[in-house]
Amino acid sequence: MRGGRRIVWLIPLLLVPLPLVLDQYQQYVANLILVYVPVGVGFNVVVGNLGQLAFSNVAFFGIGAYTAGILMLKLGLPWWITVLPAGVMGGIAGAAASVPALRGVRLFYLAIMTLAFGELMRWVYIRWEPVTGGSFGMAVPEASVLGWALNVESRKFYAFLVLVVLVIMLTDRLLRSRFGRAFVAIKGNEEAAAAMGIPTDRYILLGFAWGGFVVGIAGSMYAALVGHLSPASFDLTELILQFAIIMVGGLGSLAGSVLGAALLTAAPEFFRDLPGFEELLFAVLIIVVILFLPRGLASLLARAHPLFDDRYFRE
Amino acid sequence: MLSFLPQLVVSGIATGMLYALMALSMTVGYRATTVVNFGHGDMLMVGAYASYMLVAGVGLPFGPAIVFAAAFLFLLGFAAQRLLMQPIIAGPHLSLAMMALAVGYALRGFARIEWGNDVLKLPRAYPSGAFMLGPVVVTMDDIVISGVVLALLAVLFLVFNVTAIGQVIQAVFQTQRGAALVGINVRAFHATMWGAGAALGAVGGVLMALIVPLTPDIGVATLVRGFAAMTLGGFGSLQGAVIGGLLLGIMEKVLGFYVSTVFIDITAYLVTILVLLIRPKGLFGQHATLRI
Amino acid sequence: MAALLEISDVSVRFGGLTAVDGVSFEVSAGEVCALIGPNGAGKSTLFNAVAGNVVISSGRVLLRGAPIQHLTPHEISARGVRRTFQNGGLFAHLTALENVLVGLHTQVASGFLGLLCGAESSRRAEAAATRRARELLALMELDQVADHLASELSGGQQRMVEIVRALATDPPLLLLDEPAVGLAPPMRDRLGGIIRRLAKERGLGIVLIEHAIELVMSVSDRVIVLNYGRKVADGSPAEVRADKRVLEAYLGHA
Repeated sequence: MRGGRRIVWLIPLLLVPLPLVLDQYQQYVANLILVYVPVGVGFNVVVGNLGQLAFSNVAFFGIGAYTAGILMLKLGLPWWITVLPAGVMGGIAGAAASVPALRGVRLFYLAIMTLAFGELMRWVYIRWEPVTGGSFGMAVPEASVLGWALNVESRKFYAFLVLVVLVIMLTDRLLRSRFGRAFVAIKGNEEAAAAMGIPTDRYILLGFAWGGFVVGIAGSMYAALVGHLSPASFDLTELILQFAIIMVGGLGSLAGSVLGAALLTAAPEFFRDLPGFEELLFAVLIIVVILFLPRGLASLLARAHPLFDDRYFRE
Repeated sequence: MLSFLPQLVVSGIATGMLYALMALSMTVGYRATTVVNFGHGDMLMVGAYASYMLVAGVGLPFGPAIVFAAAFLFLLGFAAQRLLMQPIIAGPHLSLAMMALAVGYALRGFARIEWGNDVLKLPRAYPSGAFMLGPVVVTMDDIVISGVVLALLAVLFLVFNVTAIGQVIQAVFQTQRGAALVGINVRAFHATMWGAGAALGAVGGVLMALIVPLTPDIGVATLVRGFAAMTLGGFGSLQGAVIGGLLLGIMEKVLGFYVSTVFIDITAYLVTILVLLIRPKGLFGQHATLRI
Repeated sequence: MAALLEISDVSVRFGGLTAVDGVSFEVSAGEVCALIGPNGAGKSTLFNAVAGNVVISSGRVLLRGAPIQHLTPHEISARGVRRTFQNGGLFAHLTALENVLVGLHTQVASGFLGLLCGAESSRRAEAAATRRARELLALMELDQVADHLASELSGGQQRMVEIVRALATDPPLLLLDEPAVGLAPPMRDRLGGIIRRLAKERGLGIVLIEHAIELVMSVSDRVIVLNYGRKVADGSPAEVRADKRVLEAYLGHA
């Protein structure tokens, strides 16, 4: 491991004292950023690394959130136990969303189908009232970890930080291995990838499942953070926020996902009382990035420090 | 029970006409540029709002309002393609899809900023009423919508097959390189076709505003139904778009009545997913999915 | 001893068009076999059929005596067949090193769970693979460009990297699709030398499609000529050069 990479471990350490300097609201925003880091990471694996036009990320997010919420509300399980099932459900949804891709559906067709899938899920949240609470949503009981109640934002911060570090670490290991290289190979030239012995179908499934898993976990964090789930949180405005995160941050870049989440997550908070501005802002951001900085911010920073440079191998 | 079927089919055809128009307008843009305009539904929404402003705000009669709205959307579609899509036309498909999507979102953002989330209703342009056609009830709305769409289809058919411009369009649809070789300005063509698609969509938006309350989000439902119709009819096929739209309208009504009202909302989603999984070419499609 | 590759009465039909019509030939280990013929003769189709990208309509393709015509490309590749592509087979978003690493994919002994858990064995397997990839590139004097993106390399370098990638797992059978296209003559000679060494020193069976006749003649042990999907000649370069039918085939298309 190059010296430059070891610095990464400093970052979570430096963040540990953060709750001491932030007030409750600022801490909430920081927690929200932590929630969106895995959202970006998972989305980026499918869209950035695998190169598939999958618009279904919000579906995974919602499924994870509702899974956690339902397990906590209906079965009385403590939050920390619902995290893994939320991830698993997200992973299953990811696998399901990859089915059209496995059958050769690509490009715009895949985009349309996954978009339809996302909207269909939202329809399910609204209609399946006995389970999801319908349009009014459901209240999520207070989260706890092994009996330690996450009743203040600072406690949630530490719980989330652990999860986020784990997610990033695991995804990094995956991406900087033969699997990660295979993903990018499939994105670049699927035929050639198959010619190298890569079973592309299986790997596409794997990429989608991993993305869904990670985003599902983010969903469980979201449930713990906001305490109330409603279908409106998982609509198309949410989708463009998630797109903006990975596009501004940098497609295919783990560092980019973190950057994008850090920069953009707070934005909706500022636009809470100004309907329409949020959509407009993200739309304009995406347009500007596509035209002028297609590889995102991470590509700019990559020149500055190898930390931001995607390398798909270990020395 | 079956006695309701004729009514359902007739009502379905009326809504189907709207879907057919939406799908057709999307197909025109797609055939010209091979890029799916994910922001199309929102352009339609803008058309609807534009006509609202003209009718309710300025007091323009309905007919001219549609024409103005269509002209405005033509310019918007043209500009969007020329300024935002054309520069990246050779780039990855993801960028193209995202750009179109972002344009749609931007339009929606504008609309929401301007009109908030209020629900607006277009003032009545003609008296409401209904007629009995045998055992079936046909409303004025059904007639107006179907009439306008059929008239448009007739005009389009004539333009495509009879006029010189139509020949040019057909030629470029078939082979862009060939067309460029003959001296046709393909870039202007792309922009013009997007404009034309947007204009057609605007008409659809106005028609939709006749029967559906106006909010900034109507574009999304439109987009999904337009896709469903295009998918069912076969992506890229003009007749397919029309037939797909009509079939979708009928299916929604029939399934909605006989199986569950649930289907009024989700038929479009299910059709999209199922058709792409089972028979990706749809009914008349020429472009199948890619095989690895 | 069974031939390495046996094409047995293979036909490929697309709708009404017969691209390959009852072609048969064999390739042995250590042999360089060239597929030549006018444009549209069916060379690429046959090539793709062997690699599994095209489904054959009749006949059999046998690898070391075992039929492979029904297998998918990745399954065939896993059995020891590697290929290069006519235009841009490299992965543009990856560096030369990473491209070769993808070539090594099936031999890198890191498992999914092992990687996630950070198991020492997986990490060592990955590091070993990286070292091996660098060695392979160095053998072809490409180590300087190992960390350059594939898209940044020159045409000749790209071609070479693609060959290194195809050879990474020491495949018994190598399919080269017009490897000399766009290469300057000195580069071509070098390529020819490499191809011969691979066959003679490492015992690879090599099938190549090529239009550069001089290269074909100097490099091949056997030359197969196709025309309108049928085999028109099959022999040593000297024999084929003298064969009237071959001349007719090319002239007929002029």
